[in-house]
Amino acid sequence: MDPRIDFGNNIPRREFFGRSATGIGVAALASLLGGDGRVMADDKAGAALGALPGLPHFAPKAKRVIYLFQSGAPTHPDIFDYKPKLKELHGTPMPDSYLGTKRFSSMTGNPKGKVALGPIEPFKQYGQSGAWVSDLMPHTAQVVDELCFIKSMHTDAVNHAPAVNFLLSGAQIPGRPSMGAWLTYGLGSTSANLPAFVVMTSVSKGTTCGQIFYDFYWGSGFLPSRFQGVKLRGGGDPVLYLNNPDGMSSTMRRGLLDDIAKLNEIKLKEYGDPEIATRIAQYEMAFKMQTSVPELSDISKEPKEVLDMYGPQVKERGTFAYNCLMARRLAERGVRFIQVMHAGWDQHNSLTTELYTQCKDTDQPSAALVKDLKARGLLDDTLVIWGGEFGRTPFIQGSLDDRKRWGRDHHPYAFTVWMAGGGVKRGITYGESDDLAMNVARDPVHVHDFQATLLHLLGIDHERLTYRFQGRQFRLTDVFGKAVTQVVA
Amino acid sequence: MRLCVRRCLCAFLGVLAFRACSAETTSQIPVKATVDFTRDIRPILSEKCFYCHGPDASKRQAGLRLDSSEGAYAAYDNGRAVVPGKPDKSEVVTRILSQNPADQMPPPKSNRTLSSAEIELLRQWIADGAKYAGHWAFEPLRQAEPPAAKSGAWARNPIDRFVLARLEKEGLSPSPETPRETLLRRVTLDLTGLPPTPAEVDAFIADAGADSYGKAVDRLLASPAFGERMAWDWLDAARYADSNGYQGDNERTMWPWRDWVVRAFNSNLPFDQFTVWQLAGDQLPNATVEQKMATGFCRNHMINGEGGRIAEENRIEYVFDQIETLGTVWLGMTFNCCRCHDHKYDQLTRRDYYGLFAFFNQTQVDGGGGDPQTKPNLELPNDEQKTQLAKLDDEVQTGAEDLDYQEDSFFPRDFGKSAADSPAAAKLPDKVKNALKKSAVSRNRNDLAEIEKEVAKPNPEHAKLLKAQIAVVDKRDAVSKAIPRVMIMEDMAKPRKTFMLEKGLYDKPRDEVTASVPAVLPALPKGAAINRLSLARWVVAPENPLPARVTVNRFWQQFFGIGLVKTPEDFGTQSEFPPHRDLLNWLAAEFVRSGWDVKALCRQIVTSAAYRQSSKVSPALRERDPENRLMARGPRFRMPAWMIRDQALAASGLLVAKIGGPAVKPYQPPGVWEEATFGNKRYSQDKDDALHRRSLYTFWRRIIGPTEFFDSATRQTCTVKQLRTNSPMHALTTLNDVTFVEASRVLAERILTSASSAPDARIEFAVRCVMVRKPSPEEKTVLLGSLERLRKEFAADPVSAKKYLQNGEFKRNDKLDPVEHAAYAAVCLLILNLDEALTKE
Repeated sequence: MDPRIDFGNNIPRREFFGRSATGIGVAALASLLGGDGRVMADDKAGAALGALPGLPHFAPKAKRVIYLFQSGAPTHPDIFDYKPKLKELHGTPMPDSYLGTKRFSSMTGNPKGKVALGPIEPFKQYGQSGAWVSDLMPHTAQVVDELCFIKSMHTDAVNHAPAVNFLLSGAQIPGRPSMGAWLTYGLGSTSANLPAFVVMTSVSKGTTCGQIFYDFYWGSGFLPSRFQGVKLRGGGDPVLYLNNPDGMSSTMRRGLLDDIAKLNEIKLKEYGDPEIATRIAQYEMAFKMQTSVPELSDISKEPKEVLDMYGPQVKERGTFAYNCLMARRLAERGVRFIQVMHAGWDQHNSLTTELYTQCKDTDQPSAALVKDLKARGLLDDTLVIWGGEFGRTPFIQGSLDDRKRWGRDHHPYAFTVWMAGGGVKRGITYGESDDLAMNVARDPVHVHDFQATLLHLLGIDHERLTYRFQGRQFRLTDVFGKAVTQVVA
Repeated sequence: MRLCVRRCLCAFLGVLAFRACSAETTSQIPVKATVDFTRDIRPILSEKCFYCHGPDASKRQAGLRLDSSEGAYAAYDNGRAVVPGKPDKSEVVTRILSQNPADQMPPPKSNRTLSSAEIELLRQWIADGAKYAGHWAFEPLRQAEPPAAKSGAWARNPIDRFVLARLEKEGLSPSPETPRETLLRRVTLDLTGLPPTPAEVDAFIADAGADSYGKAVDRLLASPAFGERMAWDWLDAARYADSNGYQGDNERTMWPWRDWVVRAFNSNLPFDQFTVWQLAGDQLPNATVEQKMATGFCRNHMINGEGGRIAEENRIEYVFDQIETLGTVWLGMTFNCCRCHDHKYDQLTRRDYYGLFAFFNQTQVDGGGGDPQTKPNLELPNDEQKTQLAKLDDEVQTGAEDLDYQEDSFFPRDFGKSAADSPAAAKLPDKVKNALKKSAVSRNRNDLAEIEKEVAKPNPEHAKLLKAQIAVVDKRDAVSKAIPRVMIMEDMAKPRKTFMLEKGLYDKPRDEVTASVPAVLPALPKGAAINRLSLARWVVAPENPLPARVTVNRFWQQFFGIGLVKTPEDFGTQSEFPPHRDLLNWLAAEFVRSGWDVKALCRQIVTSAAYRQSSKVSPALRERDPENRLMARGPRFRMPAWMIRDQALAASGLLVAKIGGPAVKPYQPPGVWEEATFGNKRYSQDKDDALHRRSLYTFWRRIIGPTEFFDSATRQTCTVKQLRTNSPMHALTTLNDVTFVEASRVLAERILTSASSAPDARIEFAVRCVMVRKPSPEEKTVLLGSLERLRKEFAADPVSAKKYLQNGEFKRNDKLDPVEHAAYAAVCLLILNLDEALTKE
């Protein structure tokens, strides 16, 4: 415990009432306990800081999550969901029996008469599991035996923002807490001097992507805002306002903070308001972050072979490769939920152009992350997820004659994600879409099921992690969802 | 038939799981002499039973409803759920006590098990006759006599009689009054969002008159800063922002509406009129520009311009947002549940929801595109723009007449035909012909340019005229584009039909409905026109039990940090039973009786003895009443981030007091907008005065709000609950944001130039500028120690001192010694970061 601060009996209760930590607040308490920034040696039995009582509900398989969110919706028929029949039907109208009366984006409107578009590159089988992967993803192909593909994902939303929000918060409109917020609310933090929930974003250079990352994608909704994701930025200060003002040295800052603490302690004695104790601790945590974040971002000691594995962009801040490396470094330091968001998968008219860049920028770093985590023994309790908000139509958007402008529209009825590590079965495929990658044919996994599964892997019964707001108990999975235990090792 | 069949149990397994108890609404202050249905029983039934046996008919199990006496007393095959006076004959009790999982209620899997105390309460209630009563918040408002308390001398006004009576019942006593400096700071921050100036403090301390505090309050209520302070919370509720939100996030010009809100508070527009204007000002007889503009409230919702969006889906969402905002702000009801189904807990149905929907479903907005000034709108040119526009319109007219005249010869044709019909135009492309069909005055820039391109070669003379006309049209368009347009409400002549939407989906219309108000509330007056105006008047009719309660509660929250009802957004049956219900009722009734007089309400609250108490708290009291619901002490909580910024600007003297106008862009770390929008939106920071305006005027980009306003409402949807957390990110903001570094530098300059040269007098002055009171000797010692250390540090590194003084654009007084100035500046930054500085104490 920090000798300069005597908390005595000043245990804040106002906001932290009912929580298992002594009540000072996750980050604050972490700062009082010290720690060298690595995963704490012992966080079994949910001894994480600030976990809710009774959580985790059962022994977790995974302790942390790295979500490689592929925003814009990756084209499942072109990269992972191999359908020879789609190739056969290439250029012919989609059979009506597949289309039904489905609703599509207003860009497609009525799908009747749209022609099938075969995968734009060949697929091959890889590994012992024999998973089919497109030539577009050669590095991912090398790690398929670590992966669990879910090819029967489906969602309710057909446009980006609502669909991303649906996946990440369980509701299409903003206002609900995101997954990372739920998890840190429930499970607390295992990092002493970094936030429990960290977000990074990137976009491939040269894409014409129009997607935007809204901060509600990592928001805390109606949960207290300290559960929202902290953004590690791609430029400028890595965390907003992290750096001391020009001309103020770290020594001066230290002295300033010591005096602030002294004066706040006088106040605390006089007024007895536990918020003052929390504030003292949070100012201390702020100082720690000023050291821990630069330490986190310093990759000069990473071995060359590790850097090479992530590919040529790894040293460039704001790229997916850099963010994947950071994700591993954050995982090592005990950060609970690491949300890496990459934009640019919205190939309405760029399957033969930008898709190549998109795959190139993401394939190698994603595979490298899996390998790197495994090499460090972190893959066992780190759940890695790779996937977007929906899939893309098996039929073409644009004209068959204009190959340069081939595209696929939004497609919520079947899409593919993969997971790795964190207690998920290795080298399997769960669920199946039909032979045109149009609809789910077997073992459907709805977004809420997916969320329930994720929580399950972290030792949480999704029906029991709730928060009361506007007179009712809310949860990540709304009133739906069933954990897909078949994928759990 | 059994009371509840097995299939009901199965249905239960898949539904929501509930934790038995939650910190969010469980009141920790038990006072129970007798069992009171509203206070003790309904919360249990609502939480444990209504999900399956409540108002939602579609989910109701076994046909049993426990939310009404008729339902609960009704006979079933093997008994009755509730037999008044006979708990042991009541199936409810039998089932709750059952050990057989198949019979047990609530089903064990539901996680809604009752505690033994709750079971005992239920038994007691049934034994006492199982009397049902309406939910307290729906009861008509009656102005009851405030209770008499024993030590009545403490009470300054009726609020205090409620507070004191309760404290006496609890065996507690109020805290002494807070010191006068602290009191003046508290009330000045509360009523103006700014700290008092040292001169105001001196005057207040010097005024020994019995009503010196009352006079100070009146002065503050009359200050223009009052409206600016009150506007902030209203803007949160109204989800006001300077851009659309979503992709594209186009900038809008709703700021004249924001300025109207400030004026409305300052002129003390009665809250009922404030309401009617905003919901239906356009429909008032001979509506003024201000009354129409006020309806901008309804149009502050986000607009989704994402490509691929279905226009009607957008439009429906906008209307959802409008009625849900109405529900939250005036009725304290969570309507959103009823998009898809009847409310699970409150007596609100889908039909009620779509009945309200029909009132707002009548504008010409079609949901397409992302126009941030989507019609209906109100053009609000200033005088200069009006003059310019009139002049340019004339020039356009003159040029057009000339053009028409000349084109008669360029494109000869029969009388009555257009230039496009001339044989000379026969070979022109369609685009050009279409442009030529229009008379010259109605051609836009593109039309003129199309023609110009085509005729440039064959007819340079014509091209010259066209070029000149393009130049004038461009000028006019530029002026016109700069005119603010406030989106407002205006109904179409032909009403749009309204349908209940299955699951709230735009493409699943079901039964047609007509406009109506929720059945659980008083009806519209007989013969009232069925339009928004009638709805607005109904909202603030004295018979409507909710708006006054809900509104008074929000103001109370502003002053005490927590509402008398803790959930300002929800007054339904799932909300807590408020520990001070009678006080809330009294205040609400008084508010209506006063003619919805907001300033009088604020005055009443801040002049109460309850408000004037010291906020010091003993460990015992903190343990007993951690949230200060009983008010045995004064309020103490961290100020909102915007107020912390305004305080720093005011204390340093940087604050520019200009009221209103377009939003400004003060300091923001580089790259924030750029990163969020992949470079589509670039932040171009303003200069000079615009850097130091009140936070109210800071440009609010909806997808990424101003970064320094931590814990703020997102302004994406209606927010009425104050967020208050305590995180290291906040500390980083106030320690490192250039706003605070600059303010502390300027504050240092102020004390170096205006106070005596003795360090301890200077330190004292700095403390007084921020915290109003003087520092204690102990505090002074620490601060002087800081100063000494920083002086040494900066003296050893004068380059750093100079650098430190370059933070922020406000010009520094070069005559000051850099080391001395930097040391004081750092001490001032320290002071601005003290808990007390960040807190309204």
